[in-house]
Amino acid sequence: MDTSMLSVGIDIGTSTTSMVVSRLHVRNTASCFTVPRVAITGTEIVYRGEIYQTPQTGGNRIDADAVASLLEEEYRRAGITPEQVQTGAVIITGESSRKENAALVTERMSRLAGEFVVAAAGPDLESIIAAKGAGTARYSEELGCSAANFDVGGGTTNIAVFRGGQLEDKGCWDVGGRLIRVEKGRISYVSPRAALAAQDAGVFLRVGGPAEPESLRKVTDRMAEVLCEAVGLVPETPLCRTVETGEATPMHLKCPVDCVSFSGGVADYVYHPSTDWFRHGDIGPLLADSIRRSALFTARKVIPVLETIRATVVGAGSYTTTVSGSTIDCVREDLLPLKNLPVLVPGKETETEAGLGRGGALAEEARWFLQESAADNTVFCLKRFRSPDYRKVCALADALAEAAGALSPGAPLLVLTEQDYAKALGQALRRRVKDRPVVCIDGVRAEEGDYLDLGRPLMGGMVLPVVVKTLIFGK
Amino acid sequence: MIDEKLIAKITAEVLRRLNAAGTPISSGTGTVSRRLQAGDGVLPDLTAPESKAEITLEHMVNRDLMEQMKRKTPARIGIGSAGPRMNTRTYLTLRADHAGARDAVFRDVDEALLREMGLFTVQSLCTSRNEHPTRPDLGRQLSEDTRRELRSKCQMNPQVQVYAADGLSSQAVDMNLRDILPALMDGLQDYGISTGTPFFMRFGRVPAMDAVSEYLGAEVTCVLLGERPGLATANSMSAYIAYKAAVGMTEARRTVVSNIHSGGIPAVEAGAHIAGLLKTILERKQSGVDLQL
Amino acid sequence: MILKTKLAGRVYEFRSVKEVMAKANELKSGDVLAGLAAGSDSERVAAKEVLSNLLMSDLRNSPAVAYEKDDVTRMDQDGVDSAAYDRIKNWTVGEFREWLLSYDATEAAIKEIRKGLTAEMIAGAAKLMSSMDLVYAASKMRVESTCNTTAGRRGTFSTRLQPNHPTDDVEGITASLFEGLSYGSGDMLIGLNPVNDSSASCGEILRRFDEVKNRWQIPTQICVLAHITTQMEAVRRGAPTDMIFQSIAGSQKGNEAFGFTTDTVREAQVLLKERGTAKGPNVMYFETGQGSELSSDSHFGTDQVTMEARCYAYAKQFDPFMVNTVVGFIGPEYLYDSKQVLRAGLEDHFMGKLTGIPMGCDCCYTNHMQADQNDLEILTLMLGAAGCNYVIGVPASDDVMLNYQSNAYQDAAAVREILGLHPIREFEQWLERVGIMENGKLTSLAGDPTIFTERRGGLG
Repeated sequence: MDTSMLSVGIDIGTSTTSMVVSRLHVRNTASCFTVPRVAITGTEIVYRGEIYQTPQTGGNRIDADAVASLLEEEYRRAGITPEQVQTGAVIITGESSRKENAALVTERMSRLAGEFVVAAAGPDLESIIAAKGAGTARYSEELGCSAANFDVGGGTTNIAVFRGGQLEDKGCWDVGGRLIRVEKGRISYVSPRAALAAQDAGVFLRVGGPAEPESLRKVTDRMAEVLCEAVGLVPETPLCRTVETGEATPMHLKCPVDCVSFSGGVADYVYHPSTDWFRHGDIGPLLADSIRRSALFTARKVIPVLETIRATVVGAGSYTTTVSGSTIDCVREDLLPLKNLPVLVPGKETETEAGLGRGGALAEEARWFLQESAADNTVFCLKRFRSPDYRKVCALADALAEAAGALSPGAPLLVLTEQDYAKALGQALRRRVKDRPVVCIDGVRAEEGDYLDLGRPLMGGMVLPVVVKTLIFGK
Repeated sequence: MIDEKLIAKITAEVLRRLNAAGTPISSGTGTVSRRLQAGDGVLPDLTAPESKAEITLEHMVNRDLMEQMKRKTPARIGIGSAGPRMNTRTYLTLRADHAGARDAVFRDVDEALLREMGLFTVQSLCTSRNEHPTRPDLGRQLSEDTRRELRSKCQMNPQVQVYAADGLSSQAVDMNLRDILPALMDGLQDYGISTGTPFFMRFGRVPAMDAVSEYLGAEVTCVLLGERPGLATANSMSAYIAYKAAVGMTEARRTVVSNIHSGGIPAVEAGAHIAGLLKTILERKQSGVDLQL
Repeated sequence: MILKTKLAGRVYEFRSVKEVMAKANELKSGDVLAGLAAGSDSERVAAKEVLSNLLMSDLRNSPAVAYEKDDVTRMDQDGVDSAAYDRIKNWTVGEFREWLLSYDATEAAIKEIRKGLTAEMIAGAAKLMSSMDLVYAASKMRVESTCNTTAGRRGTFSTRLQPNHPTDDVEGITASLFEGLSYGSGDMLIGLNPVNDSSASCGEILRRFDEVKNRWQIPTQICVLAHITTQMEAVRRGAPTDMIFQSIAGSQKGNEAFGFTTDTVREAQVLLKERGTAKGPNVMYFETGQGSELSSDSHFGTDQVTMEARCYAYAKQFDPFMVNTVVGFIGPEYLYDSKQVLRAGLEDHFMGKLTGIPMGCDCCYTNHMQADQNDLEILTLMLGAAGCNYVIGVPASDDVMLNYQSNAYQDAAAVREILGLHPIREFEQWLERVGIMENGKLTSLAGDPTIFTERRGGLG
């Protein structure tokens, strides 16, 4: 009964690009006397790619063609073909995560797609998956503590705070190792945000000026302090919000942080310091040193990580995919995979109406939603009914059947219920909706603004692999 | 040796924290903070989920972790004690759950429900509620009169015969039948499967389905039956299904779907799932261990 | 051989030794269900009287299942030491009972005589004993066994920690495990009844148990009670286990209904010798329970006490580390109420000890029988007094997977204090090191599972 999925994670960042291939083990964990309960029971990394410099064309634009050929080569080295890949995620991270970059890469990636569900993610999701890839989320669960992971990359630092394995908050700051670059002893690049930090620290930086560790340290000290402010270790200053990454949801942490961990390219120097300050032609080692001297390091327990520079890519490959509940209704397998489906969470009143069998408001909301999001289709996401009785399920089916009229002719009716009643609802829907296919799944939590990728069914149609993409491209 | 040191270190740390927190190292009993708060002059329900979710252990090293542990298992952990014994609240909650479970065994299914579902009632050879638990041999047999009644009231030779039985929890039937039966019957109808006339069997045990199957000439028989109550729930129902069930066949020929209740698989969803399962069984012409799904 | 007696003027005649044995039993609903029980209290006592006058040789010569068609009978009969048997074969069963209760029957003397006994003789003696007889006679006998640690020494009272979970969730299991350890439970075994009988799931749980055992340096044993073939498969795939478990019956047919043969058990022993994690030599674990043969129609018209004694004779062949009856699990059709469960628990423990196996007991009840927690606690205390090797420990007595009630973690703790008993020495020292126990009593840290929260080094 055991099966597995091949999952690819790709991280295209400001400075580096990498890929990992993971195998996700899927098993029916229920006994043969109960309804199946399929779960991802383990992940193993089967290919760990090189860390490449991200090819750029200038103006902070990614050379999408070069990235695509680089990844094709990685596929070859990993010994896999696009057809074998069942799930995964491409994460476009850091400063480079601009909409046009993402669109460009996504387009080029279609050559590699196969079954692969291509996705681009904003800083929020990136923070979360880096903390998962680093093992910090799991650590907080095992120890029942709150732990913050700082994924310190070239352009940004993504923070995710997990408490008892649950996400507490997430955020992103324009603090990174390559915001200032150094060539032959001279400063060769200063990003606008780094200039702000320097100004705040009272340091004057000039491209072409001498790169002095003493003055640059004042800048990196200030950057490290911003990170302390971000998690409430020291009082917040105006700079903190100024250099918060625009696309990210502002972070307002409510719980104290017990432990901290570090991933990303700079993390290696946090755990293993080096005084060869400009070995990479940037301020990475200096920033790491500043972090080591900050309250993050001295006032909190520093915990080990499973991955440093590859935390995000491992997170993307191993932790973005979930499986649906194991009693679902999906008769037409040929419809799948379906990608980038926006989630429609009906308003409270609309859902209440639907529970009474009236779908007018729901149809109205769907029409408006499709128009607004310019999407071809949507997933109706029912969150409020706890354990509906059979009469309620039939009423919901009546309402959804009516609302399906808002979809384009023949488009599949896609429904996600948070609670376990998708099979009953799906059967009731097929009884009512004859002019379009129905896919009804449960057991996945999605929020307004999320996008879903539905993969091909596993284990004889018992479950679908699902990727929930939270807030693509930021808000 | 490293671990020995570690253990010593942790022990010392634990004691240090307990002291540092200003909490006395004594298993204090009956402190006021642990008392239940009554609302409207009524003591809260000990058996309510929120009441059971409460941590009654007084001192712990890591409360976050304790909460998390409690979320991961329905087992009664984090309960604390009075000396080496259970504290009063834990003990009485346990007794309350046991009382509930026993009441579920030793009472009848609600007549109004059976009328509402349009089910007529037959009875196994058992004659009383008290005899029922001790005589599984009688609970699997039907009298000649009962057989005649079944033949006269039921559609003969259906593809699928569904019926309900009290088994060891009448309460499970009361709580689930209203949702599982229509979901199942509608599902079967969608698949174009012909169904027999559903009914209810009092004092029925699982193997009675074999007799039912033979009398009615059903291709597949499915009984929805109340399971022996546990403390967690007395509402758990199971569906036992067999292809061409016959008296004296091995237990290995039965397919079982258990744990049907609001805290397990909800009755509505179970009905839909079983409809699909019955379809597969009809197609494969087998059930039980032979049916590799 | 006399099969007839008069009682209060009425004559009672029995057709066979088997009938005498069945009707001499205290009332059990399982014997009624099987149609074997005495029709009245008077007939029961008449049967006891006839039984007490039968010779031990009569019982040896009337095995419950024929020698030719049953390997349980063959092993039991073939194992009889003729010198020991010759000393007792002409005793009546009544005399044997008296000898067991006498001051002549020292622990060493019983050890010698034991070699000449078969299951039927042992069952016969139990049928003539009162509750206190069963406790007193059993209290003379200690059976020690060694897996990683040595259990069964006089003065010890151990527990199997049973951290069951309704979906085998490893983290949930670990939470219950830590809770149990924090109450000083688990010196006999950390042993889980899985929901899912697959080698993958079995292996996963064993790896966690092994990790916890090693991480905390706990001197104990681990096991996952899946089907014997599932455990063997898991071990072959590299899962760490100290022991292999199987439920057993008192007849070959009953064991086949459980899906294994004697060869399977032998194979498991060999496998453990090669790939088990315990030093041994005792690496098997068996569970039994009155009535299980009747439920699989493999009782051959024999009463459930006699069939139970035969389970022990079978278990003995494999030098197990631990054996227990799951006394009130099977349901009211076999043991109707607390009176019957109490009796069965005391009988089983006595018979196991007389057989020479390291006997424990899962004192338990289900919700459809006439028993409650009070009854279970009485049985536990009586078994503690009888010198029972171990009982079970589950959170607050509620097993959320098997849906029955057994002993709470708190029960063994209280029995130890009341009767002056201790956990296995190494385990107790470990409890003292971790700070859970002091001077034979639980400390204020007891009951806090979060003291075992660090799995990576250093406090979190």
